[in-house]
Amino acid sequence: MPLPSIAAWLTHTRPLSEVERVVLMEIRLPRIIAAAMVGAALSAAGLLFQGLFRNPLADPYVIGSSGGAVLGATVGMVLLPQVTWLGFSAIALLAFAGSVATIAVVYSLARVGGTTQVVTLLLAGFAVSTMLSYSSYFVEVLDRDYGFGLRVLASWLQGSIGVPRWSQLGAAALLLLLSLIASAMLARRLNTLALGDEYAQQLGIHVESVRIGIILVGSLLAAVAVSLGGLIGFVGLIIPHLGRLISGPDHVRLLPITVLTGAAFLVLTDTLARTIVAPSELPVGILMAFVGGPFFLYLLRRTKRGYGS
Amino acid sequence: MKTLLDFECVSFSFGQRQVIHCANLRIESRTCTALIGPNGGGKTTLLRLAAGLLRPSSGRMLFRGAELGDLSRRDVARRIALVPQHLEIPFLFTVQQIVEQGRTPYIGMWGGLKARDRKAIERAIELTSIGSLRNRIYNELSGGERQRVKIALGLAQEPELLLLDEPTQSLDFGRLMELMALIRMLHREGIDILAAVHDLALIQHTFSSVILINSLEPLLIGSPEDVLRPDILERAFQCPGPTFNFEPDVHPRRELAL
Repeated sequence: MPLPSIAAWLTHTRPLSEVERVVLMEIRLPRIIAAAMVGAALSAAGLLFQGLFRNPLADPYVIGSSGGAVLGATVGMVLLPQVTWLGFSAIALLAFAGSVATIAVVYSLARVGGTTQVVTLLLAGFAVSTMLSYSSYFVEVLDRDYGFGLRVLASWLQGSIGVPRWSQLGAAALLLLLSLIASAMLARRLNTLALGDEYAQQLGIHVESVRIGIILVGSLLAAVAVSLGGLIGFVGLIIPHLGRLISGPDHVRLLPITVLTGAAFLVLTDTLARTIVAPSELPVGILMAFVGGPFFLYLLRRTKRGYGS
Repeated sequence: MKTLLDFECVSFSFGQRQVIHCANLRIESRTCTALIGPNGGGKTTLLRLAAGLLRPSSGRMLFRGAELGDLSRRDVARRIALVPQHLEIPFLFTVQQIVEQGRTPYIGMWGGLKARDRKAIERAIELTSIGSLRNRIYNELSGGERQRVKIALGLAQEPELLLLDEPTQSLDFGRLMELMALIRMLHREGIDILAAVHDLALIQHTFSSVILINSLEPLLIGSPEDVLRPDILERAFQCPGPTFNFEPDVHPRRELAL
């Protein structure tokens, strides 16, 4: 859709044709908003998890919470596609539950004596997220052969932002807003947690409840992101890192910067993914893997000294 | 004198291993106490108990007459600060940002630093003379500088009791003397100090009383003259003890006969 016609419409010089209106309102705009929300949610979740693990290599994809959300949602789609509870679909609730359960498991595996060993974190995250992704692939294969009618699954597992309905966007926006407010409440605590669990406790913090808060809010963010974009890696890793370069490590300032950068970044990459091999479309998850993988390796290399076990 | 800290037969075990066995301990206000003892003798555990970070398996711990376990965490944090041996920070926080964390027990979830907090932070920075390090990255500081920042972080809590865990570790001679001067100055400022110390030669002239903790024997507390006796040290450290000359001299000779 050409920019001049949008500009002309915005400045009231020429109204949109019916086709243009539908393309803009029902396809382009929802997708852009969805991409922004996915970017914001993944980046905020990455920031929370990095604070929780006290490690800049944690991110919803790496530690498996996205994988957990995808599996939860997949199970929901197959078994309880029509069930809703308090206005939320069973799919969304199971995505959230999958994400929480995964982090709880990875966290307890990776924490040894109050510290996170980088190697244990990465291995535990890798093992758990691989199991989860392949479980989802398994369901996807079953779907292909036996046809539950879930064609959406394949593109989801590659990480792809579809064209959501406005109602779906509304529900996701509400959850995103709530979890971002909760994240803002946790921001100051994340600074204190950086001093270590015992030090934070010494400063009067109830470390356990803060940790549980981070896990719940981070999982909600990961579930929001997964419900709109599936399994997209590395966003939660790169963006908080960029944010720290911009504003330093103080989470009170870092959080808004990370959220905004993440939103802008994913809108950009999704647009690229949509146009780069046009008329075909690249799942944004694949693009992110190309960009994020090397960046992750660079970080791993650079931080080995400073944060090693 | 008022009693600051009172341990009544406090025991503590990690799982099956009892680290502290029925420790009786009374520290009066306005004292500067050194905590000595062999490695693994329970010095760090005793400090963590005193900071309310560990709960004793049995016995009572009183802080100014109040049961330590009855005080809220936040309350304890406003009155007792523990400066740990190691402080590892995963992100590139500046010294200023680190010291500001000391105000955590005074601010809520939403509240920011108020004038009163800024004053406490400035004072902590001034007392430890780390003003010039303010904007440096903590992880890039030297051992001596880090030690000062850690103490400033503790001081920002405005504690009545400052616990120091091996503050002299990895300091060169010059930094060591600076640290001792800082401890004496803090003591003059009215902060009670309990510090685990390895180097026994540092105790005179800075500390007014000494606690000897050793997993094999009951805890011993007294003046440096009473505790730093060759026979006592020899038994506790299982090696010929160093000899200290206690002279009323301002510049005493310190003889380390090992």
